[in-house]
Amino acid sequence: MPDEKSHPTMSEQGESASVNRREFLSSATVAGLAAASVGTADKAAAQQVASNESAPGALPPTALQEAMESDVPEGYSADQAREYFVRNPGSDFMVDMIKRLGLDYITTNPGSSFRGIHESIVNYGGNQAPELLTCVHEEQAAAMAHGYYKVTGRPLGVLCHGTVGLQHASMAVYNAWCDRTPMILLAGNHLDATERRAGVEWSHSAQDCVRVVRDYIKWDDTPFSLQHFAESMARAYRIAMTPPMGPVAVVIDGHLQEGEVGDHAHELLPVTPVQPPVGDEAAIAEAARWLVEAESPVIVADLMAHDQEGVERLVALAEALQAPVVNQYGRMNFPNTHYLSQGAGAVAQADVVLGLELFDTWGVINTLRDRVHRDAVRRVRPDARVISIGTSDLFTKSNYQSFQRYYPSDLAIAGDAQATLPILTDAVLSSMLRARRATNAERESRWRDAHAQARELALNDARYGWDASPVSTSRLYAELWNVVKDRDWALVSDDNMQSRWARRLWPIDRHYQYIGRAGGAGLGYGAPAAVGAALAHRAEGRMAVNVQRDGDMMYTPGAFWTAAYHGIPLLTVTHNNQGYHQEFMHLQRMAARRQRGIDGSSWVGNELRNPDIDLARIAGAMGVWSEGPITDPEDLGPALARAVEVVDGGEPAFVDVRCQPR
Amino acid sequence: MNLNRRFSLSPGRGMLVMSLWALGTAVAFPQEPDDDEDTREGRALYESHQCWQCHGYEGQGSVAGVRIAPTLYPYEAFAVLVRHTNLMPAYSPNVLSEAQLRQIYAFVLSIPEPPPLEEIPELDFD
Repeated sequence: MPDEKSHPTMSEQGESASVNRREFLSSATVAGLAAASVGTADKAAAQQVASNESAPGALPPTALQEAMESDVPEGYSADQAREYFVRNPGSDFMVDMIKRLGLDYITTNPGSSFRGIHESIVNYGGNQAPELLTCVHEEQAAAMAHGYYKVTGRPLGVLCHGTVGLQHASMAVYNAWCDRTPMILLAGNHLDATERRAGVEWSHSAQDCVRVVRDYIKWDDTPFSLQHFAESMARAYRIAMTPPMGPVAVVIDGHLQEGEVGDHAHELLPVTPVQPPVGDEAAIAEAARWLVEAESPVIVADLMAHDQEGVERLVALAEALQAPVVNQYGRMNFPNTHYLSQGAGAVAQADVVLGLELFDTWGVINTLRDRVHRDAVRRVRPDARVISIGTSDLFTKSNYQSFQRYYPSDLAIAGDAQATLPILTDAVLSSMLRARRATNAERESRWRDAHAQARELALNDARYGWDASPVSTSRLYAELWNVVKDRDWALVSDDNMQSRWARRLWPIDRHYQYIGRAGGAGLGYGAPAAVGAALAHRAEGRMAVNVQRDGDMMYTPGAFWTAAYHGIPLLTVTHNNQGYHQEFMHLQRMAARRQRGIDGSSWVGNELRNPDIDLARIAGAMGVWSEGPITDPEDLGPALARAVEVVDGGEPAFVDVRCQPR
Repeated sequence: MNLNRRFSLSPGRGMLVMSLWALGTAVAFPQEPDDDEDTREGRALYESHQCWQCHGYEGQGSVAGVRIAPTLYPYEAFAVLVRHTNLMPAYSPNVLSEAQLRQIYAFVLSIPEPPPLEEIPELDFD
């Protein structure tokens, strides 16, 4: 065993490094010096140049080298300057590389394990592209990135402690994983135990800090050098953004952040996008043949459309086939104003089902009844064939079961559905004979009638409970529509818990107008995802509307402070049913199944009242204009009108509404 | 009205419900409650047994439970839906007696029709 005394102490190591650096400076390459010394843009360019230079022999010191050597603040010796100051910190290089990724923002709750890069982002990077967004919880930070991506298609960075920060963020990361949403987690850590300050810095360090979220991210790395960091960031971005998309994590070691860039040239790598995978051509031709020959083809789409282009591609396929589309609204895949937009019941009569990026193929074809003996019942015709196109087979993990029950599709095509659709539509059109084409007029007429009837039914159903107090959820959405309908609006929440009234009542025809669900159904997603999405809409001048569930809000209410602090306009209206409503129903089911009855006891463990939570005061305390609780439906419209005025002024507004359970 | 499509009964019970529903339609349901006390008791039971969690305070229904008011079917069909369907938990007589269920039904019957569509400008989406 080596004698410990034979190893230099940390200060000795530092001195040794300094000496080596001085020696190097007298003989190093020009390219390497340039990379180590110049400012933001110039430095990046110089480093690029440097990477392409071959390594020459020692050269005489240049004026620049000499300037660096003499760059000692007045009143300090050279030794003191080396002791006190860092000329070219590693985290500056990290910021240069992060800028290469084109991240608009980095959400963060500040922490000492990344203080180096925090300072670099603010001072060296000018706090622009990326700009730091202050969050009061890492779960909020990650969920904001989730919402932002679903509007823009661009990932955000999430900067947090590798230990306590990732633990806080983990719920939101899991939601993003289930929802196939990319984000880049930057986790601060101190790997070198001999460099850790006593106390908290130890508690906030880990041997393998990403382990806590590794089951539900696509990839992670712990770079040991700045060049390693650059390569890992470029790789992380590509992996995150290649379908099926998902979160990735890169650990940023404190030593790398705070130390000098060093003498080696570092290359800022270009980040090139990866084209999404497309389905096999022969399989697509076969799928087209099945669809054309089918008498009742039905398309079901879930996590499909990445953007408006995806919506338009699906419209083209549906119109070519005159096939109804059941939108499961994991994304806004298809305009609900289109006559081919149909309810889930359309699947029952299908002879061919085309599933596009389904979260749960088995659940489209079957259902498992919630009874004492859970039996499966097929929803579709026994002879129906199922085609699936999606990326879920390309990447998944073992532990968490978000991949859903296995379903053996009759034709399973691995590929990004949006990227595959144009090829499929071309194949459909080219294989459709005149006789088949002639049936399209009759199909169109039938689906137009069905669409009109469903619309009439929705409007009729919305009347029931119209004057009720608490306010009916149909009225909530009808009143909201009246204040947003003349604007460029976007809903930044999921309406599933409000009986899907947005989808049933509001005309939704743009991809950005609906951003789907949390993914993993983990509470705490709503408010921060809405704020993240609203931030994205701010740049486009749109009015973002968030229907906020009360139980969900209590997990991450701090998101409203971030909205106020950063001036993010957002109209939030609560669906405040004063409890965890889903769980009320589960308790009722158990009590009925055991013949014990509920008789009032379902409040136990489920209610959010006594004392009632004053959600408006919570939002108000965060600096958000707020009003409520509204209990009389006649008061709702005027309150919303006042709130819209605030949002029009560029600020968030909040109206608490006591609502019916669903 | 597509209420029957939203129930997935076993074939036998489905036929029974359909038959009773047809009967109810033929005799011009809904009917007025004939006992105010039953209606009041029924409201209390509707609240305490928390029928409203799925069906709403006005029986208007939701994504979690079908609309039950203003009712379109007779008591016999209503009872089948409460006790024997797979759509909702089966409430046996040990939990809700026949008399209690009839009181709940009386309350459901008492819930008035909502305003017509033409009288609700907020629902004018054209």
